[in-house]
Amino acid sequence: MARIDFSITRGIALVVIALHAIVLPVLYYGLSLVVSHSHSDLFIQHVRTLSRNIADELELGDSLESPQRLADVLDLAVLNGDGVYAELIDNGHSILSELSAKNVHWPGHQDYGFTTGGSEIYFIELPISRPGHTAELRLGFDESPTIEQIHLAMRHTIWALSAYLCVAVAVAVGAGYWMARPVVQLKQIARRIASGDYVQSLRLVTRFRELNELGSDLDNMRNELVGVNERLQAENKERAAAEGRHRHLEIRLRHRQRLETVGTLAGGIAHEFNNVLLPIVLATELAIADAADESAVRLDLEDVLASAYRAKDVVEKILTFSRDSGVPELEWIDLEPVIHEALRLFVALVPATVDLRTDIAGPCPPVKADAALAIQLIMNICTNAYQSLGGGQGVLTIGLATRPGSGPGPGPDVIGASSGDYVVLSIADTGHGMDAVTKERIFEPFFTTREVGGGTGLGLSVVHGIAESFGASIVVDSTPGLGTTFHIFFPAGSKSSVEERMLQTHEGANT
Amino acid sequence: MKSVLIIEDEAAIRRVLTRVLERVGFTVRTAENGDDALQQLRAEEVDIVITDIIMPKMHGVDAIKRIVKEFSRVRIIAISGGGNFGITDYKPDAITTSAYLAAARKAGAHALLTKPFLTRDILQAISLATRDVRPH
Repeated sequence: MARIDFSITRGIALVVIALHAIVLPVLYYGLSLVVSHSHSDLFIQHVRTLSRNIADELELGDSLESPQRLADVLDLAVLNGDGVYAELIDNGHSILSELSAKNVHWPGHQDYGFTTGGSEIYFIELPISRPGHTAELRLGFDESPTIEQIHLAMRHTIWALSAYLCVAVAVAVGAGYWMARPVVQLKQIARRIASGDYVQSLRLVTRFRELNELGSDLDNMRNELVGVNERLQAENKERAAAEGRHRHLEIRLRHRQRLETVGTLAGGIAHEFNNVLLPIVLATELAIADAADESAVRLDLEDVLASAYRAKDVVEKILTFSRDSGVPELEWIDLEPVIHEALRLFVALVPATVDLRTDIAGPCPPVKADAALAIQLIMNICTNAYQSLGGGQGVLTIGLATRPGSGPGPGPDVIGASSGDYVVLSIADTGHGMDAVTKERIFEPFFTTREVGGGTGLGLSVVHGIAESFGASIVVDSTPGLGTTFHIFFPAGSKSSVEERMLQTHEGANT
Repeated sequence: MKSVLIIEDEAAIRRVLTRVLERVGFTVRTAENGDDALQQLRAEEVDIVITDIIMPKMHGVDAIKRIVKEFSRVRIIAISGGGNFGITDYKPDAITTSAYLAAARKAGAHALLTKPFLTRDILQAISLATRDVRPH
């Protein structure tokens, strides 16, 4: 069976129309019966009364005695009301009113039915009892004005019913709209919700209790869904963030692992090298002792010894990177004098075209470090910075500042970063900067962007080793063409560490 | 003259160090590893032991511990060239040269020296180790 599909408004209108299609014809039929009966009854009653009165006049008066009077009475019957025919049969003699309609003839019998007898004339025959007369009064009345009235009444009824039908349909349509409105409203809100606008309330303002309850229930459902949706979104966001952190951490970890692997490898090479260098050094010394003074052999051997010593220096640098240099005895120190000392040494090494600046933000807490190594760290970064200046012109700024642990630190991705405050040593240059690939590798031993012979590629790996031994983290910001900044985050000493340092100094003074 | 036992797995170092020390008048014997050294010491004690730390078979730190235990009179100098490189099956707690040397010191070495060193460095270490100033 096909399912019929229509709107609430149309449905209600159709129901109303269907109902009236049954009711209105029945009503019309009933009304027409009542109207025609009442009209015909009135007509019949009227003509009978009139006929009786005329018959009485003929029976009781003396009209029959005078032909003139008789003609007047008969004319009166025709003139009165709807009369169209008046005839008196007196003793077999017919007297017809001259006013009778010409085309109307006595049908031969009395016609008591309204609209019966084949014509629209109502014929009535009354016997007249008067001594000396055997008479019959025959009257005919026109039914058509009454029929006309009935028709008119029925036409009015049709108009009235039609008007009523129109009003009923209009009311039905209006009521349909009114009833459908909250449902349409629900539909629109539901569509908006479906398209992602969750803030729309589904609560309705309507007089229909069921719809109110439905809206309220749906709104509760929506609130629940919004909650679930928000939770899911928050969870997704959190998951994405966690994944980001995880990825970042993984990269850092891989980087660090690579550095450690390289460090271990470098340490291994250093060990082998030291074992190789020892017999070279000692045997050369023995040979020098045996060689004659100022001899060519002796000079050659001294070169061998000097070279072996250079090799030893390289190995020591590698060991610094692999945190294997036999150091460090760390103590709480202030970095500010260390910076000044490093600058004093460095200023002698670079041309005056390099603008060396310091940016020290007030007194900073002490950090756990070794002053000599810290100087080396600064010198190595400064050397690198100077080399990045190319032509030797540019600005090199050494900064020192305290950063709260809650503020931007080396980041959660920096392994081993302390959660407390930091003292940040920063060395910024206006050199050529570096790309991400270079930045990733700068701490690897023997990695250098300079041409062969331009440097050992150990300077920054030594920096890394020293920073690690201090428990400090290095963060490098660099923009190709603009410059590079090294930030070294030292865990800041607390009040107790300051006291510890004072105690150390005190004990040192005593011994 | 004082006698020296060199414990060192590298043959070249054994040879050159022997010549260096013999030249300044020490009586020198050598051992390739800790076990060999202990056997030699049991046969004939020496005044000074110079031992490498990272060696196969017996680690230098273990060797020092056993020498100190058996031959308390012997003065010990530990020498090392670098850290944890998987060339020994010994698994120390620490992996750095400084940690090795610290472990050697803790085990009872009287002087420490990092490779490579000059003749005067080893002579200085010997004189440091044999200074009879160690209080008990």
